Amino acid sequence: MQQFVTVTIDGAHVRAVKGTSVLDVAIEFGICIPHLCHVPYLSDLGACRLCIVEHVREGRSKITTSCTLLVQEGMVIRTNTEKIRKLRHNIAELLVAQAPNSRAIQDIAVLCGVKEVRYPFRNSDCVLCGRCVRVCAELWKAKAIGFVGRGKDRRVDFPFGVRPDFCKQCGSCVMLCPMTITPCEGPMKPGEEYLCGKCESQVLAAQTMPGACVWCELGKGFQCGRHA
Amino acid sequence: MGNYVLFSQLSLPSNLRAVKQESLPEESIMPDFNIDSILEGRRSQPHQLIEVLQDVQNTFGYLPQEAMETAARELGVPPIEVYRAAHFYKAFSLKPQGKYVVTVCMGTACHVRGCDLLVDQVLGELNIKPGETTEDGLFTLDRVNCLGCCALGPAVVINGTYYHHMTPGKLRSLIEFTRRTGEEKIAHA
Amino acid sequence: MPRLNHINDLEDLRMQLSAEHARFTKTLTFCGGTGCRASGSISVIDAVKEVLGRQGLDESVLVRVTGCHGFCEQGPIMVLEPDNIFYCHLTPDDAHDIVIKTVSNGEVIERLLYTDPVSGKKVGTEAEIPFYRAQDRQLLSQNPLIDPCSIESYIVLGGYGSLAKALTGMPPAAIIEEIKASGLRGRGGGGFPTGRKWADCWAAPGDEKYVICNADEGDPGAYMDRCLLEGNPHLVLEGMMIGALATGARQGYVYVRKEYPLAVEHARVAVQQAREVGLLGEHIFGSKFSFDIEIARGGGAFVCGESTALMASLEGKVGEPRPKDVHTVVDGLWHKPTTLNNVETWANVPSIIMNGASWFASKGTKNSKGTKILALTGRVRNTGLVEVAMGTPLRTVVFDIGGGADNGNAVKAVQTGGPSGGCLPVDKFDLLIDFEALAEAGSMVGSGGMVVMDEGTCMVDVAKYFLAFLQDESCGKCVPCRLGIDRMLEIITDITEGNGRPEQITLLEDLAETVRETSLCALGKSAPNPVLSTLRYFRDEYEAHINQKRCPAGVCKAMIEYAIDPEKCNGCGVCRRACPREAISGNKKQVHVIDPETCSKCGICQSECKFDAVVIN
Repeated sequence: MQQFVTVTIDGAHVRAVKGTSVLDVAIEFGICIPHLCHVPYLSDLGACRLCIVEHVREGRSKITTSCTLLVQEGMVIRTNTEKIRKLRHNIAELLVAQAPNSRAIQDIAVLCGVKEVRYPFRNSDCVLCGRCVRVCAELWKAKAIGFVGRGKDRRVDFPFGVRPDFCKQCGSCVMLCPMTITPCEGPMKPGEEYLCGKCESQVLAAQTMPGACVWCELGKGFQCGRHA
Repeated sequence: MGNYVLFSQLSLPSNLRAVKQESLPEESIMPDFNIDSILEGRRSQPHQLIEVLQDVQNTFGYLPQEAMETAARELGVPPIEVYRAAHFYKAFSLKPQGKYVVTVCMGTACHVRGCDLLVDQVLGELNIKPGETTEDGLFTLDRVNCLGCCALGPAVVINGTYYHHMTPGKLRSLIEFTRRTGEEKIAHA
Repeated sequence: MPRLNHINDLEDLRMQLSAEHARFTKTLTFCGGTGCRASGSISVIDAVKEVLGRQGLDESVLVRVTGCHGFCEQGPIMVLEPDNIFYCHLTPDDAHDIVIKTVSNGEVIERLLYTDPVSGKKVGTEAEIPFYRAQDRQLLSQNPLIDPCSIESYIVLGGYGSLAKALTGMPPAAIIEEIKASGLRGRGGGGFPTGRKWADCWAAPGDEKYVICNADEGDPGAYMDRCLLEGNPHLVLEGMMIGALATGARQGYVYVRKEYPLAVEHARVAVQQAREVGLLGEHIFGSKFSFDIEIARGGGAFVCGESTALMASLEGKVGEPRPKDVHTVVDGLWHKPTTLNNVETWANVPSIIMNGASWFASKGTKNSKGTKILALTGRVRNTGLVEVAMGTPLRTVVFDIGGGADNGNAVKAVQTGGPSGGCLPVDKFDLLIDFEALAEAGSMVGSGGMVVMDEGTCMVDVAKYFLAFLQDESCGKCVPCRLGIDRMLEIITDITEGNGRPEQITLLEDLAETVRETSLCALGKSAPNPVLSTLRYFRDEYEAHINQKRCPAGVCKAMIEYAIDPEKCNGCGVCRRACPREAISGNKKQVHVIDPETCSKCGICQSECKFDAVVIN
C-alpha cells in the first residue's frame, strides 16, 4: 500500500508518494528542475549536481541534489532561489565549456541562464553523466561498459578495452547519450562556438514563471519525467 | 616484524643506509599467472576483490590481464568492476614495472623541501616520467602522495627500502649504486 | 599466554608480568618507527644487542623496540630508563660506548646528547627536552613504553583495563553518556561529536552493526595515525572494542592505507595476539560480548579516507563516495549501521572511560576538548609529532615547541588541516587550536597537519600544489569537483606562468564557492579552502603575479631566472655535471655560466652548489 507524505516545494504543498525523490515529485507537479544524469527508470547518482535544491530544516538550508533526496513528511524545499540559480549557472557553464559540441548540453546551459562562457572551450565527447553505464547495468543487467579511471582520467570503457561478446549492440547507450540527443541540427564547428539556445523561446516564456515546466524540446529528447 | 635488508656499511654514506619494510615479490616473472593460492578461502566472495588484487600486484609486480579475468570469474565480480578497480587504485599497475621502482614522496612537507627536484633529477638522468619504465627494464619512476616520513623529507622508497633527506645528488648516487650492485643479501626475520 | 576467561584474569596477568619485568634493572628503549628505521635504527639495535650479549647483560637489561616517538628528525633515538638518558642520531658504531660507558658505568656520552637548536645547549634527559616539555603528551607518551608487537607490554601498563571497566559496570547508554560528556570530537578532520555519532548508531534499527577505524591517513604531511597504529595498536583496538560494546557491533575493521606497511603489520600482529588471549572473538572475558576485528589494506586513494568511499572499498568496490542524505550511522557498510572513527579518536576512548569525562573535558576550550596530535613539519627547527591541549595558540606550537624557522628566514604562514585546510599568516598566530576558531579563519584543524612556511614559499604555488593533489585524487564522479578543480588549476597555472588577468581572481572566487557548495563529498567541498584562504590573506602575492608578472618568493619558474654569481663561483664544475639539461658551461676553475634558453629552472644546480653561488633573479 502506498504511503503519502506532504512536502512543500517552492511554497506549494504537494502530496507525494513516500520513497520517491524530490526531483521526481517536482517534475510530476510541473516544477522544472534542470537535470542531466537523471533518467526516470534508472537509479540516481547525484553526479551532475544540476538538480540541486535548498532543503530547509530548523531555519538552516542545506544544498543537496533533489534526485538523491527522498521525500519525508513536512519537508520544505526551495528549487529556485537566487543562490541555487547562481550555482546551477556555474555548473552548467563548466559543462558547456567541457563539451560545447552537444546541443543538449548547450540547451541545458541556456536553460540555466548561461550567456557567456568564461573558460576556454575544450572538445570532449563525453560528459560522464553515466546514463549509458546505468542503462546497460540496470535495464539489461549486462555491465558491458563502465566507468574506468579516476578524476580527469575518468572515461567510459569496455572491460579490458574490448567490446565483450555479451554486448548485444542494443543501442540503448547511444539512445540515452546527451552527446547524441540533438534537438537541432549540426555539431558546433571549431571557432564557431556559440550557444544554440534552441530552448530559448521556451526559456523566455519560463522567465515570467521561474521554475515552471514549459514542455521544452530538451525534456522531450531527455525523456524528462513529464515526457517519459 | 617484516623482512629487512642490511646494506653494506662501507660503500654507502650513513644516511643512505635504511631498512626494508616489505618482502620482494617471490616470483617476479612467471610463465603462467596462476593465482590459486591467492584465491584460496576467498572464492565467491566479491568483497575480497581489493585484497586479492593487492596480493596479485605483490606477487607479479603488476596485474596481468589473465589474472584479473580469473579473479573476476572466481570471485563472482563482473569483469568491468575488476578493470575499474585496477584503474582506480594507485597501488595497482597494469604494466610490468622495472626491477627497481623508485617512488618519490610528493607530500606537502617534502614539497616544501624540494621533492620536485628529485623527479626532475630522475627525468634528466634516466629520461623517464612518473609511471614510465626505462628501456632496459631496470627502473620505474613512481610518485606517492605521502609516505608518512614527513619530518625526514624529501623521502624516497626503492623496492620497500626508505631513504630520507634526499637531494638530487644523493638520488643520482643511489640510482647508480643500485644499478651497479643490485640489492644485497636479504635476511628473513 | 593463557586465555583471559574472566575480568580478574586480566589483573592477575598484569601483576604476574610486572613481577617478571622486575628482574630487569635497566631498559633500553629504541624507536623502531618507520622514520627511525629509515635512519637506520635497526642496525643500531642489532649492534647494541650484540654488545649486550657479549657483556652478559642481556638478562638484566631489557631492549625494547617501540613505535614512533614523534621526534623523527633526531633519529635513531634511544632512551635509557630509569635514568631517562636520551641519545639521538645514533650509528651502529656507538653501540660499544652505549653499553660499556652508559649502561654499565652510568657515564653520559656528551656527543650523543640532544642539542637544543634554540639555546645551543646539550640536554641530558628526555624529560628536559624543551620540545617534549612544552607538550601535553597524553597519547604519545605511551609509545616509548610499549613494544607494539607484544600484548604483554600493553597489559603490564594497565592495558585493557578500560574495556574491563566498561564491560563490568557500564551498559551501552552509560558508555555513550561518558563519551558525550567528555566532548570528544572526531580527530580525523570532521570534528563531529563522537558521543552523538555513537548514540545515533546505537539507536539505528538493526541487529547487524559495524565499527570501523579509519587509518587511511591520506593528508600529505600528516603521520600521527601511522605513529599511533605502529606504536600502540592495542590502544586503538581497545577503543574500538569499547565502541562496539556501546553501539552493539560484533565486527570491526581497521582500514589502513597500504603505504604504511609497518602499521599494517603491527595491527595484524596485535589482532592475532588479542585473539590468542581471548580479547577478540566469542565471549570476551567470559561475557556475552563477542567481537572480532579484521585488517584491510587501502589501495592507494586519498578519497578512500572519506567514510562512504572507505566503506565502498571495504565492500570490494572502487572508492567513490555516495551522497550522504542518509548518514552512515544508519546506512553504512553493507547498508548496515556503522560507526566510523579516526585512529586518534579511538585512541582517546580508553583513557576517557578509565579517568572519566570530566578529566578529558578539563583540557581545551568550550567546544574543543582534550588534546590533539599535530604533525609539525616544513620550515621549522623542531619537526615531529606534537601533542598539545586544544586551545593552545598557534604561536606556542610554531615558536615555543617548533623553535621557529629553521633557516634564518622569517616565518610567513602555517598551513593547517592538509588539503582541506588553509594557510594562516603570522598575524593570525594568536588563534587557538580549536575546531571553530580555525574554521572561521578560513582553515581547519583537520587531521592535525601543520606545515610551516617561510618567505621562500610562494602562496600561489602552495594553492597550486594542493589543487594538483586534489585533482589527482578526485574520484571524478561529480561535475563541480572533476571539472571545477580542473578549471581552478587551469586558472592558477596561468597565474603562475605569468599569463594571469585581473578578472581571473573574481572568476576563481566564484568558481571556488560553487565547488564548495555543490560538490558531492568533503573532498570537493573542502578543495577550495587552500585557494580561498591564500586569496584572503595573501592577495598581494596573487596581484604581484598578475599585474607585475613577479613571484615575490622567487619560486614560480616562469618568473625567475637562475644565474651564477661570479663573485662566489670558483669553477668547481659540480653544477655543470649535475645539470640534467647541460645548460651550464665553463672551464675548470673559471666562473661558470647558465644559459637561460636551455635552463629548465629545476633548481638542481642550486641545491648542489656548496658555495651558494647560484642565485635566483
